[in-house]
Amino acid sequence: MLLCALCACSSSPSKDLVPPSILPVEDRSCPLNCQQFVRGTAIPFCCAFSDNKELGAFNIEVHNNFDHHTHGTEAGECKQDPVKKPVNPWVFNQDYKIPSGETYYEAEFWLDIPEDVDPGEYHFMIRVTDASGWQQLRSVSIRLD
Amino acid sequence: MIATILAAIVLLQVQDSTEVLGPATIYGESKRQELMHLSLGSVEVGRNYIENNFSGTLAGSLSAIPGVQARAIGSGQSKPAIRGLGFNRIAVAVDGIKHEGQQWGDDHGLEIDQFAIDRVEVVKGPGALMYGSDAIGGVLGIYTNYLPLKPFEGRVNLFGRSNNQSAGISARLQGRKEHFYWKLHLTGSDYADYKVPADEIEYYSYRIPLKDGTLRNTAGQEKDASLTLGYVSPSFRNDFKVSDTWAKSGFFANAHGLEVRLSQIDYDASLRDIDLPYQSVNHLTVHNHSHFHGNGFTMDGDLAWQMNHRQERSESVSHGYMPVPPDDLERDFRKHTFTGKLGAKIALSPENLLQAGLDGEFQHNRRGGWGFIIPDFETLSGGVSVTDRHSVSDELNFNAGVRYDHVRTDIHGYTDWFTTPDEGGTPVYKQRSGDISRHFDSFTWSAGAAWSPAGWVLKANLGKSFRVPIPKELGADGVNYHIFRYEKGSPDLRPEESYQADASINWMGRKISFRLDPYLNWFPNYIYLNPGSDYYEGLQMYSYTQAEVFRSGFEAQLSWKPLNFLELEARGEYLYARQMSGAKKGYTLPFCPPWRAAFDLRYTFSEDGFVLAGLRVAGRQDEIVPPEKPTEGWYTINLSAGKSFSVGSVLLKTGIQVENLLNRRYYDHTSYYRLIGVPEPGINASLMLGLEF
Repeated sequence: MLLCALCACSSSPSKDLVPPSILPVEDRSCPLNCQQFVRGTAIPFCCAFSDNKELGAFNIEVHNNFDHHTHGTEAGECKQDPVKKPVNPWVFNQDYKIPSGETYYEAEFWLDIPEDVDPGEYHFMIRVTDASGWQQLRSVSIRLD
Repeated sequence: MIATILAAIVLLQVQDSTEVLGPATIYGESKRQELMHLSLGSVEVGRNYIENNFSGTLAGSLSAIPGVQARAIGSGQSKPAIRGLGFNRIAVAVDGIKHEGQQWGDDHGLEIDQFAIDRVEVVKGPGALMYGSDAIGGVLGIYTNYLPLKPFEGRVNLFGRSNNQSAGISARLQGRKEHFYWKLHLTGSDYADYKVPADEIEYYSYRIPLKDGTLRNTAGQEKDASLTLGYVSPSFRNDFKVSDTWAKSGFFANAHGLEVRLSQIDYDASLRDIDLPYQSVNHLTVHNHSHFHGNGFTMDGDLAWQMNHRQERSESVSHGYMPVPPDDLERDFRKHTFTGKLGAKIALSPENLLQAGLDGEFQHNRRGGWGFIIPDFETLSGGVSVTDRHSVSDELNFNAGVRYDHVRTDIHGYTDWFTTPDEGGTPVYKQRSGDISRHFDSFTWSAGAAWSPAGWVLKANLGKSFRVPIPKELGADGVNYHIFRYEKGSPDLRPEESYQADASINWMGRKISFRLDPYLNWFPNYIYLNPGSDYYEGLQMYSYTQAEVFRSGFEAQLSWKPLNFLELEARGEYLYARQMSGAKKGYTLPFCPPWRAAFDLRYTFSEDGFVLAGLRVAGRQDEIVPPEKPTEGWYTINLSAGKSFSVGSVLLKTGIQVENLLNRRYYDHTSYYRLIGVPEPGINASLMLGLEF
């Protein structure tokens, strides 16, 4: 019985070892790194996700960067204000479904910025999973005026 | 016939109370007998072995044994694994009592003083017959039952390590007056943040610079004490022991917490301070062991109480819908474990030795703090076992045993202390875990043979083991902040079962000896934390499921003594693991160790002095599951030397060890820090001074 199990392993289905990708839509990507927005308006979001097998879900999260931490996936450094303490920082955290069976998915919508939140530097995080449980992250620096 | 029975009894006694003083490789009759007493593959090492391989942690000190891995979680803590299985899949037993802490946790170590240990027996295979649930991957049997011989004796050890600037002292005092004896152990150590050969690491998309390669806030302290009072007579022995282990250690500050954030705490101000976040744990054990032997039988009785109190503290910050908590106590666990055991060995005839055992255990776990990960629970378990060993001759014996276990787990529901808006936007107190009541029955068995024709010892064993799902697997429902994921339990899990076939081939010659331990292992329903594709407030959902798993592998050891003073030793291990069903069919299991080998050249001088040069090699690991990354192969060069000096009636022992001599940067695939992208420690020199009197 155990030997049979051993034979079965060699013919196991090809497993997915590739995480999903976060891509521009055609040649557009938004928001852009270091882009500035005015509170009370909206941020355009456009992004494409792709995977070799099947996409899972995605999430958008915005948190402040008043303490100047650094993300390794960032495109580059933007102009920085002095370090400050958050009073009423903008917190946004939303999970989104991707229809099952897709290997490519484009998402485009607007995110409203509340008027009363702290201005300053923020990180705009994009997270995506595939059906196998691999995850990819992308971080974009934005500024609210 | 009576003489044979007595011989068997004496042999049992010897196994129970001898302190093994030599290194791992003692050849000849005693080695053969040690191998013959179990048909499973087992390795026994003594106190000297631990001292010669001294690492900051017990699991680290044992990791040179083929098939044993240490899963490092900082410089002061590591988790042991046997053939790649750790956590609740191995039983760690101290003097026969299963050590019960919060062993489910990724960054929870062992609460055992490695200086108080007299010998360790590693059983590489299903140990359910001896310990019931949990011993599915093997047993780390720790013994502290050395019997003092003199009216007063003792030793003092001083030790230090360069990498984390650690210093420590351990003292053992003991004495015997006729039938009565006492033993006192005291150990204390203090260590600073440890260093890795890297300027920065990248984790969860964050770039974390390391000042002077220091893993900030990984400093810690440990204080242990134990007292044993004993009585011994030709037919009776009783040990009453109280021991307490206390440790406090910092968590790597940049990869722990609700979010990866830079705190206002100046972690780089001191290497030795322990800032938030940190953990502290106290483990108290009270244990009474009685041993009686009469004509043709022996009996053992144990009663033990363990109290494990763990606290994890971190800065109170709001997260998601959770407001700022009132204090820094994130998690608090108080676990009481009561154990009772009764065992008998009866020589039915010169050929047949019957062993019977009855044991019961009650666990009571209560949580506190503002972070929820596991619910409150009580577990009551009981088991009964019978084993027979039939000796055809001194060279051949067979054994077979059966065991029945009943386990009952009662989990209490948990509701958040803050509100979260439901789908309609109404704030509600969310229930994280419901009331769960489960009971499990398991029937396990094992059978094997050991045969020792001239110079050889050949062993084979087939056995079934089981493990009942732990409350975290049944009732977890929360964020695991150590690893930034959401973990969801499954209340309907069945007991995990494992079938394993083991063989052991040993040749013990005068100049050459070798050993090969192959195994095949099949789990119809391995409990696996499966990374899914859903999000919960931006955290990836992981949920407990069951899958069929097949594993196989081997350990090998070859030793060659071309000259009296020169010994060459090669050791190696390989493990293959495959999930055969479920969401991750075709994948391996998490933290699957790559092949590993070690080569030691040992030069012995003037009886007790030695110099050793060693090479450790590990292969590349491409067998991964999300979210792991493939890990490159690596090698390190290590040196060690030791010598004892007699000064009157006092023995002075010295030892020095240099690990990772070339200060190479490498990653250990089985390390907790591998997922965070933290390499293994750089060059490290350890010094040990011992005074025996």
